[in-house]
Amino acid sequence: MTAETIIQSLASGLLMGLLYGLIAVGLALIFGLMDVVNFAHGEFLMIAMYASFFLFAFFAIDPLLAAPLVAAALFVFGAVVYLLIVRFAVRAKANAGMVQIFSTFGLAIVMRGVAQFFFTPDYRSVTHSWFGGKTVSIGGIFLPQPQLIGAAVAMLAFGGLYYFINRTDFGRALEATREDAGAVALVGIDKNRVFALGWGLGAALVGLAGAIMSIFFYIYPDVGASFALIAYVTVALGGFGSVFGAFAGGIIVGLVEASTALLLPPSLKSVGIYAVYLLVVFVRPRGLFGSM
Amino acid sequence: MDTDFAKRRRRDLIVAFCLAAIAAVVPLFVKDSYVQNIMVLTLMWAALSQSWNILSGYCGQISLGHALYFGIGAYTTTLLFTKFGVLPWFGMLGGGLISALIAMGLGYPCFRLRGHYFAIATIVIAEIGLLLFHNWDWAGAALGIEIPVRGDSWLKFQFARSKLPYFYFALALACVAWFVTWWLEDSKWGYWWRAVKDNPDAAESLGVVVFNSKMGAAAVSAFLVAVGGSFYAQFVSYIDPESIMGFHISLLMALPAVLGGIGTLWGPMLGAVILIPVTELTRSYAGGSGRGVDLIVYGGLIIAISLARPQGLVSLFAPKRKEATR
Amino acid sequence: MTITRRNVLLGATAAAALAPIAARAQTSEVVIGVTYPMSGANAQIGVDAQHAYVTATDIINNKHDFELPLAKDAGLPGLGGAKIRLVFADHQGDPQKGRAEAERLITQEKVCAIIGSYQSSVAVTISQICERYQTPFVSADNSSPSLHTRGLKFFFRAAPHDEMFTKAMFDFYDALKKKGTKIETLALFHEDTIFGTDSANAQIKLANERGYKIVADIKYRSNSPSLSAEVQQLKSANADVLMPSSYTTDGIMLVKTMAELGYKPKAIVAQAAGFSEKALYDAVGDKLEGVITRGSFSLDLAAKRPMVGKINDLFKAKSGKDLNDNTSREFMGLIVLADAINRAKSTDGEKIRAALAATEIPGEQTIMPWKRVKFDELGQNNDADPVLLQYIGGKFVTISPPQGAVAEAVWPMK
Repeated sequence: MTAETIIQSLASGLLMGLLYGLIAVGLALIFGLMDVVNFAHGEFLMIAMYASFFLFAFFAIDPLLAAPLVAAALFVFGAVVYLLIVRFAVRAKANAGMVQIFSTFGLAIVMRGVAQFFFTPDYRSVTHSWFGGKTVSIGGIFLPQPQLIGAAVAMLAFGGLYYFINRTDFGRALEATREDAGAVALVGIDKNRVFALGWGLGAALVGLAGAIMSIFFYIYPDVGASFALIAYVTVALGGFGSVFGAFAGGIIVGLVEASTALLLPPSLKSVGIYAVYLLVVFVRPRGLFGSM
Repeated sequence: MDTDFAKRRRRDLIVAFCLAAIAAVVPLFVKDSYVQNIMVLTLMWAALSQSWNILSGYCGQISLGHALYFGIGAYTTTLLFTKFGVLPWFGMLGGGLISALIAMGLGYPCFRLRGHYFAIATIVIAEIGLLLFHNWDWAGAALGIEIPVRGDSWLKFQFARSKLPYFYFALALACVAWFVTWWLEDSKWGYWWRAVKDNPDAAESLGVVVFNSKMGAAAVSAFLVAVGGSFYAQFVSYIDPESIMGFHISLLMALPAVLGGIGTLWGPMLGAVILIPVTELTRSYAGGSGRGVDLIVYGGLIIAISLARPQGLVSLFAPKRKEATR
Repeated sequence: MTITRRNVLLGATAAAALAPIAARAQTSEVVIGVTYPMSGANAQIGVDAQHAYVTATDIINNKHDFELPLAKDAGLPGLGGAKIRLVFADHQGDPQKGRAEAERLITQEKVCAIIGSYQSSVAVTISQICERYQTPFVSADNSSPSLHTRGLKFFFRAAPHDEMFTKAMFDFYDALKKKGTKIETLALFHEDTIFGTDSANAQIKLANERGYKIVADIKYRSNSPSLSAEVQQLKSANADVLMPSSYTTDGIMLVKTMAELGYKPKAIVAQAAGFSEKALYDAVGDKLEGVITRGSFSLDLAAKRPMVGKINDLFKAKSGKDLNDNTSREFMGLIVLADAINRAKSTDGEKIRAALAATEIPGEQTIMPWKRVKFDELGQNNDADPVLLQYIGGKFVTISPPQGAVAEAVWPMK
């Protein structure tokens, strides 16, 4: 194993990790807001990828340009899912935790079925895009442009999100609602509206991730499944509810995955991620940056 | 109050006995092997879900990784039989004991975790188990293991066409799982768990004993699930890591209890009786189209039930007994 | 429960299951069960297979001017012109569900034979059930070599298995080496499933026997979100030939990741699967100029046998795709099965089995490059010669074996 192999693996792992973070952050945001884990998160990613693909296929819009459109579409979708399903799930008087897990899980299955019904199970790909298939080589280390763009978008998104939560009125409303949903009602904030916007925002972030992913990943109805578990582990590793935790968790997952593949047979590379998760929560039961 | 409770328990026992007796004669009249197959699966998932419910429902430790114990049961039996000629009945026992030990070993660090951290830890542990079996050449790795056909025999627990032996075994397993739950409800473990649920402060004072009782629940739950796994291996007569230890197995174990009523005596049974036939029938009669209609029906049903009946479908049958569903 | 009672019950169920089959022998319809993954990750395969089987049924049930068994008549003349009717069942890639569906097809739908099933793990349980019910199972597209060596009487496979496919690859290497091309090292890249494992095992065995050195043996998890680390290892090994055994998803990722990490292998010889799927070439075809894949089918045959092109057109009208490695085998599987049912003049499982065992279809009467269809005592057709195809200028040309080749191999690729 040469130094070049190691550096290359870690660089690829880092880029992938930032993307994992971007995929996961919407999950972390929603959880932080209302203690709900969206088990259809992978399927949100799937429809975002399809949205990006169809914008490309029918209107020849480059996925990078499509990203804001996809994010906007997912924003609406997320808010609608909240209003139609999750609103009722969190209202459940008994077993609220299980009800929200399984209602979103049911939603995941429905979304796969609907995608198969309308889009057929064929594998799709965005064949031409500004950055697709291009790569930058620095001293023998190859950095694929789609992943570089993804990393840049991820960092922008995290920066924007940080600013948004800490510096805007809506961000403060989010923060206040998450701390005490009952009290905010007294100062005239509609809890449902904040939650719906929170779901929209969380989904929009997945939308961003999906648009970037569509540049270099194949698309089919079950594609979300490959990313869902990684997203959950990323969020839990960083600490549920912590946006920064998702960012850090993504990077750690990416790096651990890449280094495990160097040490063990690559078919076992996820074992590294899982082992690190277990180690972390056994020492810190709230994840690295979880506070609540 | 106490006498009410005792009365209800007696009634539960009588109802269970009657239902088991009725179930036992059904396959003598319903001879279609496809329907019998569905009945076997329904009873098996009812038993598994009932066992899962002991840890996740009554103790409140939501496990989404019980596929691990299912897989260990299936692999122990099959490996012992194919490699060493050990009869599946011993393998079943061995698999159960190994699973119970592993459940306690894992419970020790995991029970400190709460909520989603615990659930994800269980998913991840089961996933590690899956990957290890997937790469373990001696155990067949991805190729899986086919149980050699040796002719109909109770000793080797395999039957070519008849579903009846499997049916009665699954029925017995479901009864055992139900009875263990019934018995636990009235045990001191049961009282502690209820106390902890009703009043989180009680958890502090009961800390140590509750921790130990959770270990016990994990062991019992894992043992029964492993026996179910052994049974499944005999029933299908072929196992491979993906179909035995995949995440979907853990979900399928949780779903009947959740839909029927988590943490209730009758919930898992009821959930399985509805869910499994619906799953099988939608796949068989709507799945052949290749258009995903079966998924839409199945997923829609899960959303509808979990939203409309958060306490589970069992609450439909107990309008008066509020304390029964908790 | 006593033994006698069980036997009585067993007998009763068996009688109940078999009686209608016997009674229906004279009907104008022959029902065949077809079981595939129709939902889930491999649903696309099932949907494509459906088109292939419907095309074959159309040719059997209606008059067509093809030199194919049963094409010239409407229906099965041996059964008074009875038509074939297919019943599709979804096994979702799960062995238990495959087993249950096979049993349902046999006992409820009264099918006289079953054909399937894409995943080899599901073929294991389906073939077992078929054996128990004495119903023939035609494995159209399962390539696991272990399937036919289990001593099953009712198992038949007209197409090659992985060892035959792999042998074709090594024969090709040997031939190239004789001409002076340097081929010494191989890199295996295979998924961790039954398909990937079987394929890799066959490749390792032959490499050892014929003196090729395996410099990398990368087993990866199927549907991985990223293959960077895996490709990095392939790149450092830089073997003379890269031999992937991957499905469409991972195939696309492999090719994209290779381009991104600046790895251009000298040659790729793929164990079909993803590398014979249109979706893969739609996605990354531009990077695959010169890739070689094994196959059971080649459209080049249309030049020699015009019906191949016409049948391809029929299929394309339904599916929008050309026949490929899988769909051609599925099509041919049903033709072989229908031919046997026709000769059996019965829908009785045992009689169809006997007719299948006596099958003798010359290669010219198939759409495949095979010598003939004739099953050995294990139910395997050993005369199904695979071909190697090279992707040149946006289409596949046959480069091996010599008797079927229409072009010289471009080596190294691109």
